[in-house]
Amino acid sequence: MLRLTLQETPSVPLEADVLSPDMLAPLTIEAIRALPVYLGKRQRRLADFFAVGGEAGDEIEIHGDLARVKWIGRAMTRGVLRIYGDAGMHLASAMQGGTVDVFGNAGDWLGAEMSGGVIHVRGNAGGQVGAAYRGAPTGMRDGVILIDGAAGLEVGMRMKRGTIVVGGPVRDFAGLQMKGGTIVLGQGAELRTGAWMNRGTIISLQPIPLLPTFSYAATYNPTFLRLYARRLATLGCVLPYDERQGSYQRYTGDAAVPGRGEILVWRPNG
Amino acid sequence: MRASVYKSPALKPRIADTFAEAFDMRAARVVITAHTPGWALTAARSMTGFATSVIGCKVEAGIEAELDPAETPDGRPGLSVLLFAFDAAGLGQRLVDRVGQSVLTCPTTACFDGLPDAAERVAVGGLLRHFGDRYQSSKFLDGQRYWRIPVMEGEFLVQESFGVQKAIGGGNLLILARDQAAALAAAEAASEAMRAVRGVILPFPGGVVRSGSKVGAKHYKNLIASTNDAYCPTLRGRADVESALPRDVNAVLEIVVDGLDRGAIEASLRAGIDAASLPGVVEISAGNYGGKLGKHHFHLHELAR
Amino acid sequence: MLRVTGGTVYDPANGVDGLVQDLYIANGRIVDASAIADGARTIDATGMIVMPGGVDVHTHVAGGALNFARGLVPENQRAARKFLHRGDRRAGLGGMTPTTFATGYLYAGMGWTTVNEAAVPVLSARHTHEELHDIPLVDKTSLVLMANNEFVLDLLEAGEAERARHVVSWLVWAAKGYGIKAVNPGGVEAWKWGKNANTLHAPIEGYKTVTPAMIIEGLATIADDLQLPHPVHLHCNNLGVPGNFATTIETMNVLQGHRAHLAHLQFHAYGGDDWTTMRSESARVAEAFTANPTLTADAGAVLFGDAVTITADGPWQHLLYQLTGRKWGNLDVENETGCGIVPYVYKDRNLVNAVQWAVGLELLLLIDDPWRIFLTTDHPNGGCFWRYPEIIHMLMNAEFRREQVQQLPEKARQRIVLADLDREYTLSEVAIITSAGPARSLGLSRKGHLGVGADADITIYPSRPDHGFLFSYPRYVIKGGAIVVEEGDVREVVDGKEFIVRPACDERIEDYIRPLFEKVYTMSFANYPVEIERLRNPEVVVPEP
Repeated sequence: MLRLTLQETPSVPLEADVLSPDMLAPLTIEAIRALPVYLGKRQRRLADFFAVGGEAGDEIEIHGDLARVKWIGRAMTRGVLRIYGDAGMHLASAMQGGTVDVFGNAGDWLGAEMSGGVIHVRGNAGGQVGAAYRGAPTGMRDGVILIDGAAGLEVGMRMKRGTIVVGGPVRDFAGLQMKGGTIVLGQGAELRTGAWMNRGTIISLQPIPLLPTFSYAATYNPTFLRLYARRLATLGCVLPYDERQGSYQRYTGDAAVPGRGEILVWRPNG
Repeated sequence: MRASVYKSPALKPRIADTFAEAFDMRAARVVITAHTPGWALTAARSMTGFATSVIGCKVEAGIEAELDPAETPDGRPGLSVLLFAFDAAGLGQRLVDRVGQSVLTCPTTACFDGLPDAAERVAVGGLLRHFGDRYQSSKFLDGQRYWRIPVMEGEFLVQESFGVQKAIGGGNLLILARDQAAALAAAEAASEAMRAVRGVILPFPGGVVRSGSKVGAKHYKNLIASTNDAYCPTLRGRADVESALPRDVNAVLEIVVDGLDRGAIEASLRAGIDAASLPGVVEISAGNYGGKLGKHHFHLHELAR
Repeated sequence: MLRVTGGTVYDPANGVDGLVQDLYIANGRIVDASAIADGARTIDATGMIVMPGGVDVHTHVAGGALNFARGLVPENQRAARKFLHRGDRRAGLGGMTPTTFATGYLYAGMGWTTVNEAAVPVLSARHTHEELHDIPLVDKTSLVLMANNEFVLDLLEAGEAERARHVVSWLVWAAKGYGIKAVNPGGVEAWKWGKNANTLHAPIEGYKTVTPAMIIEGLATIADDLQLPHPVHLHCNNLGVPGNFATTIETMNVLQGHRAHLAHLQFHAYGGDDWTTMRSESARVAEAFTANPTLTADAGAVLFGDAVTITADGPWQHLLYQLTGRKWGNLDVENETGCGIVPYVYKDRNLVNAVQWAVGLELLLLIDDPWRIFLTTDHPNGGCFWRYPEIIHMLMNAEFRREQVQQLPEKARQRIVLADLDREYTLSEVAIITSAGPARSLGLSRKGHLGVGADADITIYPSRPDHGFLFSYPRYVIKGGAIVVEEGDVREVVDGKEFIVRPACDERIEDYIRPLFEKVYTMSFANYPVEIERLRNPEVVVPEP
C-alpha cells in the first residue's frame, strides 16, 4: 500500500492528477516523488508537497488537508484510493472503475463525467456532483456516488446513468437536465429540483418544493425501488420502500422539455 | 401392513436394467414475485398451463420451487418456473407470450430472469415493454435493464432479457404395478419427491403421464405419436403386439422430468425410484428409443446404486 | 543576418523549381549574397526542401465570431492541445478554435507565416484587431464584411454607385481592413427577416430592386475601382445546398470581366436535388472557373473529423443546426451582417460528407492552374488548418488518395469522380497553392517568394518520401529573418505585421455616414472607427490611383 502525506498546504490550488492508482501503481517510490504537479502555473515535483512511503500498488492512502489539491483520482480505472482529510475539486473526475473513500469533505465536481466505480464521501460535497462539465452533453454515465453529508448546486446535472445518494440537504437544481440514472436526496433539496429533466428518477425522502412543470401522478410503492433498496443496502444506504412504513408520491416532468422523468417523494405513514 | 412389507427386501420392485433416453433442449428460468405467495402461485399456474409437451404445446413448463423472500430479487414472496423448448428463439417467443398473458396480467406480480449467468439471452421485457405504449420507462441496475410498464394497478416490473441455457428434456420413469391404485399411489409419491429437487420440473398434469407414447404409429400415416402398445396392459396377448409387460402388471404410469443439467435429473430420478418403491409396484423401468434419438442416457441401475 | 545554404529551393514565383541554391537574409528581408557579412549564422539545409512560408488566404482565427465559437464549445477546449506558459511563450489552447497565442504557434509550427482573417464586421473590428494583435509569428490581413451592409445596400438600391464606393472605402479604412468580403450577398440581410437570398436575380427581403447579383457586381466594381490589392472575396449564395453548382456558375457569369476571389469553392460545387441525391459537380464548376481567368479561388476542403462551422451565413447555419439537432449559436450584427456557429462532425460513413470530402480534392486536381486555386479548409469550417499536410499528402500521392476513396461507402463512390483522377501535385505546385499563389492573389508583393526584396519568411522541410509527414514537421521556420521554429519547437517569438489598406476616399462621405449612423446604430459614431494604435505593427498599403 502506498501512503502519501501532505507536508505543506499549498498557497494556491495544486493540480495533482497523477494521484491515481493507474498512474502510481507501476512506479518506483523515486519515480513517484518526481512526478509533476502544478502549483498554479508552475510545475513542481510531487515530493515538494507530499511525503511518500510504503509500496506502490493499487491501494493508495493520502493524508492531510487536501482541500486545495485538485484532480485527485482523475480518470482512474481500478484500485482503491482512500483520502484522510478534505479533498479538492474534480476528485475522481472521469473515473471508470475502482473505489474512492473520503474521510472528510470533497469539493465541487466530485465524480464529474464518471462512467464507473464507487465514491464514498463521509463528509459534505460541493456542487456539480457527477455533472457534465460546461458545454458537454452528458455527465455521469455510470457508477455510484455516496455522500453522507450535504451537497451543493446542480447535483447530477445531465447525468445519464448511475446512482447518486446524498444523506444531507442539497441545494438548487439537483438533477438539472437529467437524462437518466437515479438521485436519492436523503434530506430533500432547495429549489428547482429536476429542472429540464428528460429522464431518470429523483427520490426525495423529505418533502421538497417542486416546479410548476411537474405534475402529481399517484401515490404508490414502486416495485423497482425494492431492487434499488437492496443494492443500496450493500453500500450501507437505507432506502424506504415498504407500504407498511409509507408510500411515494410520484411527480412527472419536466413538462418544459417535455421530459419523462419522475420525482418520488417519500410520505411516511401516520 | 406397509411396515411388514418393508421388512422384506424381496418385495421391493425390480429395477429394470434399462435406461431413460433424454434430449438436448434449451431452458429458461423465470422468477415470479408478488404481494403474497398466493398471487405468485396464481400467476405461475396460469403461465405453466397447457405446457405438457413441446409436441403439442410448443413448450414444457412447470413450477420449480417456492422461493423465500430473501431469495427473490425484490425481497417479496415468489417462485421459480422452468420452461423448456428445442431452441432459444422458440423459447424466447414462448416467454414473451406466457409472461405477457399470464404474469403481466396478474395483480402485484414482477418478473425476473432466473439464469443470470447464461450467456445466451432472449428479449422478454424488451418486447413486452411496447405494451406500455411509449409510457414505459426503464432502470439500469448492475448491468441489467428492468422495464417498468405502467398498468392500471401501478407498474409491472419485468427484466429486459432472460438467460437461456442448454438443458435436458424427457428424462422418465415407468412404474409397472399390479393394479391402478398401486400405480397411482407410487406415481403420486414419486412425483412429490421428484419435484422437490431444484433444477427440474415435471411438465405433465400432476407430474404423471397415464398415456405414455411411442414415436409414430403402426396403422396411421402422419401420426407423430401414438399409444405405447407394448406397455398397454389390455393389449397383452394379442398376436400383433409385442408386450413388454410382465404377467402380474395391470397398470403402468410414467413420470417425465425435464432438468437444467444431468445432475438435477439424476437426483430427481433417484428420488423418484426411491419414493415409488411401494407395495404393489412390480418393476420400475424407463423409456428409450434404443439410444438412437436422445444423447442423454440415464441408466437405472447406476442411479439406484 | 542569416545564410541558408545548400537547400533545394522551390520558388515558383521566380521560376525556381527545385534548384540547390543559397539564400541570404538581412534586416528581415532576402538580400543579395554581397549584403551578408562573414559572421552570419548559417543553416546548412543540404538535402532539405526550402519554400516560402505558407500563406493562408482564407481562415477564421480572430474576432467576435471566433470568440463566440470558443465560448460555445468549452468541451472542445478541455480536449484541446495545451500550450504551457514557458519563457516568452504564452499559454494557450489548440483544438478547433485555438486561442490567440496558440494560433500563432500552430501556424508557424507548420511553416505558415501569413494568414488572412476572412470575415470581419466593421462593428466588431476592434475585437478582431485585438486578437490579431495577440497572434505572434505570423503576418496578417483581414477582410471586411460588406455584402449585407445596409448602408451599402441602400445605396445600391438607390443607384448611387459612386457614393457607395466612397462608403465602402470609408468602412474598409474604419475597420482597418485589407479588403472586401462578401458573404451570401443579400442572404444575411434577409436573415434579419428570417429569410434567405437563394436567387441571384430576385430582389432581397426588405428591398425592392437590389438583388444578390447587383451586390456582387457592385462590390466587384468597387474593389476594382479602388484598386484594392485583393479583389472582392466572395462566399457565394446557396452555400452547402445540393444543386448549388448552378448558382456558382451563374455567379461567375455575373462577375464577367471583374477580378474576384471565390471562397471555399468546395462548398459551392454540389449537384443533385436534395440530400439523398447530392453529388459532386466539381468538373462543371472547374470548367466554368477555368474559362473565367480573372477569378481565383480557394479550395475550402473538408477533412473527416470534428469541426466547428463559423460563418456570417446565418440562414445556412440555421439549416445546419436543424440537420444536426445539436448546438447552435446565432449573432446579429446590427445593420451590417450576422454570424452562425454550429459544431459539426464530418463522417466518412455519411454520404453527404463523403461527397464533400471528395469535391475539395477534385477541385484542386481538376483546376489545372495552381496559380488560381489555393489550399484552405475554410478553417475551422471544413477542418482545422493544422491538418493541411493531410491534404497535401493526398494531392501528391494518387495511390494513397485512391485507398481513401475505397473506404467510402459504395453509394458515395458513385457520386464522385475522385478515383478517376491521376494527377499528382509536384513540390513546385504545392509551393504555389500554399504560398506563391495566395500571396499574389492578396497582392502581397513581398510574400510567397524568395527573391531579393521578399520578406524573409522561409520554411525548410527535411526531405522524406512520405510527403504528408514532410509538411507536418518543418525543420526550420524563419519569420522576418528570425529562426522562430526549430525541429517543431517554437524557439523565438516575434511579432508579425498587420497589412491594412487605405483606399482613396472622399473625406466628405463622413458627412453622409455620420447622421445615418447616429440614427440607426446603438454605438456612438466617434467610437466606430478602429484606432490605428490598436494594431500591432500596422503596414498601410495605399493603392495606386
